[in-house]
Amino acid sequence: MSMNTTSPKPYSNPYISGIFLGLTLLASFLILGAGLGASSGLARIGASIEGFVFPAHTAASEYFGKWGTSPMNYYLVHMLVGAFLGGLFSALYHARISIQVEKGKKSTVKQRLIMAGVGGVLVGFSSRLAAGCTSGQALTGGALLLTGSLVFLCCVFAGGYAAAYWVRRQWDD
Amino acid sequence: MIKTYYGLAELHSPGALFLALMIGFFFGLSLERAGFGSSKRLSGIFYFRDMAVLKVMFTALLTAMFGLNMIIGLGLIDPATQIYFMPTYYGAYIVAGLIFGVGFVMSGWCPGTSAVGIASGKVDALVFFGGAIVGSILFNELFPVIKPLYTWGQSDQNSFGQPGLAFIYTSLGVSKAGFIKGFTLMAIGCFWGAEYIEGKRPEATGLKPFITPFFKSFSLCFLLIALSLSVFSDSKTGVLSATRVTTDSETHLLAQVEEAEDHMAPEVVAERLFQKDPSLRLVDVRPASEFLDFHIRGAENVTLPELPAYMSSIDPSQTVVLYSNGMTHPVQARDSLSRLGYGHVYIMTDGLTGFIEECLKPPSLRPYPLTPASMEQIRSWRNYFLASTKTPEQVGAESPSIPVGVPGLVDSVWLESRIGRDGLRIIDTREQSDYNRNHIPGSVALNVESVRSALEGVPSILLTGEILVSHVSLAGIAPSDRIVIIYGGDRVRDATLMAMALERIGHRDYAILNVGYEAWLADKRPMTTAFPDMSRTAYPLPSARDHFTVSADELLTQLKKAHVTVLDTRPREYYLGEKSDEARAGHIPGAINRSYKEDLIPTGLKSVQELEAAYHQLIPNKKETVIVHCRTGHQASQTFFVLKHLLGYQQVYWYDGGWTEWAARNDLPVQSGG
Repeated sequence: MSMNTTSPKPYSNPYISGIFLGLTLLASFLILGAGLGASSGLARIGASIEGFVFPAHTAASEYFGKWGTSPMNYYLVHMLVGAFLGGLFSALYHARISIQVEKGKKSTVKQRLIMAGVGGVLVGFSSRLAAGCTSGQALTGGALLLTGSLVFLCCVFAGGYAAAYWVRRQWDD
Repeated sequence: MIKTYYGLAELHSPGALFLALMIGFFFGLSLERAGFGSSKRLSGIFYFRDMAVLKVMFTALLTAMFGLNMIIGLGLIDPATQIYFMPTYYGAYIVAGLIFGVGFVMSGWCPGTSAVGIASGKVDALVFFGGAIVGSILFNELFPVIKPLYTWGQSDQNSFGQPGLAFIYTSLGVSKAGFIKGFTLMAIGCFWGAEYIEGKRPEATGLKPFITPFFKSFSLCFLLIALSLSVFSDSKTGVLSATRVTTDSETHLLAQVEEAEDHMAPEVVAERLFQKDPSLRLVDVRPASEFLDFHIRGAENVTLPELPAYMSSIDPSQTVVLYSNGMTHPVQARDSLSRLGYGHVYIMTDGLTGFIEECLKPPSLRPYPLTPASMEQIRSWRNYFLASTKTPEQVGAESPSIPVGVPGLVDSVWLESRIGRDGLRIIDTREQSDYNRNHIPGSVALNVESVRSALEGVPSILLTGEILVSHVSLAGIAPSDRIVIIYGGDRVRDATLMAMALERIGHRDYAILNVGYEAWLADKRPMTTAFPDMSRTAYPLPSARDHFTVSADELLTQLKKAHVTVLDTRPREYYLGEKSDEARAGHIPGAINRSYKEDLIPTGLKSVQELEAAYHQLIPNKKETVIVHCRTGHQASQTFFVLKHLLGYQQVYWYDGGWTEWAARNDLPVQSGG
């Protein structure tokens, strides 16, 4: 169901979008001295939730414990909030907001949401292991020509293509 | 020069947080604009349906890389200090990348795009987001088990002085400009391939057929930018390929030798040092002991085997000048470095001898007349170079019989001449295994871990007087003994923590050897594997508590007073709160910072003159009350010793509980940032 009566506009030219994203990354390098990132903000939300439920346990844990008692007070959390707002602005502007579960016609809502949730757990876990995700490692580190980031990028595609066949049904029409 | 929030260590400041929000806004906007608010579109790349992810990702990567390299090439930003680089852990990143890829294709989302997906109303994005939070918490819970994996396979590259920071072109052994060209060509090849794949199935994608005029001009444009980046020379863009061995460099070297271009006259070196020219690095390649006896002010001590690592750690645009006593070693070192790809390496003509002869010899002793201008120049050089260090005439003359002011420092010659005398006890604070391998004859092993423990719930506190006297009694130490404390490497703090233990039991007749044990060995001074022959003593209990240790509550009452300085001796990043191993990050409000490391050279403490000058800047008044602390009291004991016993500050106190205790007590105030 569409929230807007006007039909959604088609996506912009990907190369122009890429240049726009690249300039945003460049601005981040020159202003903040660090690139873009998303998974760190997400993990800090996780640390806050765990800290709210089990304060002593979280403060004593080796990984989240380092972030102190207010993990949300961090620039990448602000960046993630900004990304949500920027996405909201653009989606409104291009009339692309609709509440839905994206899937192929033959797939059920339940199947698709299980896929999304399990994939999320894998992504959340592996982003911590690599200290970054597609934004913080692959894109940012790639632009800095860091060996580790480009190795990570290659492995993301290797893992993705290897598993693609087994999860293709969710997109079948 | 551009200063970033990272470079200023102010990423936590409100300004940085606001700008991060703004940058995030444009980040989200770009992603949504590209159509990444749709999991169907994102996952398209894995089924060759829709290659937008590849196009947007590589275009963004290249755009940012081009821009950043131009700005670095123009000298507008110093990447080494202003930009945060992630180190490379091959093992961790390969495992993480493979898992991430599986999660990405299953869900159709990644963390950044899911935020945009949620903003677009996608329920699957919200479920993914929740899953990713669960995954992060899972990582935290499993961290104790998977910790070895987290740092598995660190690269052995060391860039900008950061171990494990690896650049792809160095890993591949190619030049940076060459890599950028190849990488751009590959990306454009991928774009053409992507357009071709999509063009074959227009009915599936609804996208325009491939190879539009826009696409052709876009490809050409990126190619030209990649080629144009070569105008910035490698040295400007911060690259030196250490693996390059070419006949070109050898020919160049021989040509330089022929022209004597590889030499720098001592007068030139002296003037550049005197003017504090930051582009010059003077390297003394002699052994540490000779360096410590006398060196040119401003020189760094790097021995020959350490040179390649040193070269890779410095800014490649700097000029390196090598010297020794004579010319043989620097010439060999220079040739070897040149073969490893390091230009900009010079030898100081006639070495240290030449420097003293040409620059430091008083005009009155010279056989030829001098112009008033050059006499004035020599006078200012003498003032500068002989001010902070012993003059060559003094070397040797003062060595054998330094009057020992205790507590204080003694040198190797003094100690060697007194080994075996009655009433002299040597405490070796190095690791047990190092002591067992060999040690100074008559010395007894007493490690710092035997003088500290958890006390009343706070970890790592200096033991009470009662326990300490039993330890020194077992080690055969009597109240009338003069004690010399030995440390390994630059771990002066081990000796000074032992000194704190001695002071606590009221034993003030001690000194610390002024160089690490390795320097003693390098000088071929006496050593043995035999354990000392001694019997236990009965050291009396101290009569009162010590007068230098303060508690957290005592410190709190002093915080706002005038003429009280709290000196935090932890490394700066801990003081600023960027790093923390404790309950809370930051520092005690109002505390100033000087890391204990700043007082060190590789073999021990800096000269008293250098320390005096540095602390005079920080705390000009020696009657001021100074409370030193670090994390556990260990590092701060070194600063305590420096201030109280070497520099004569009168009111120095030691907060042993340190940041460990302060951070854990939520009732105590904390400040972070600069």
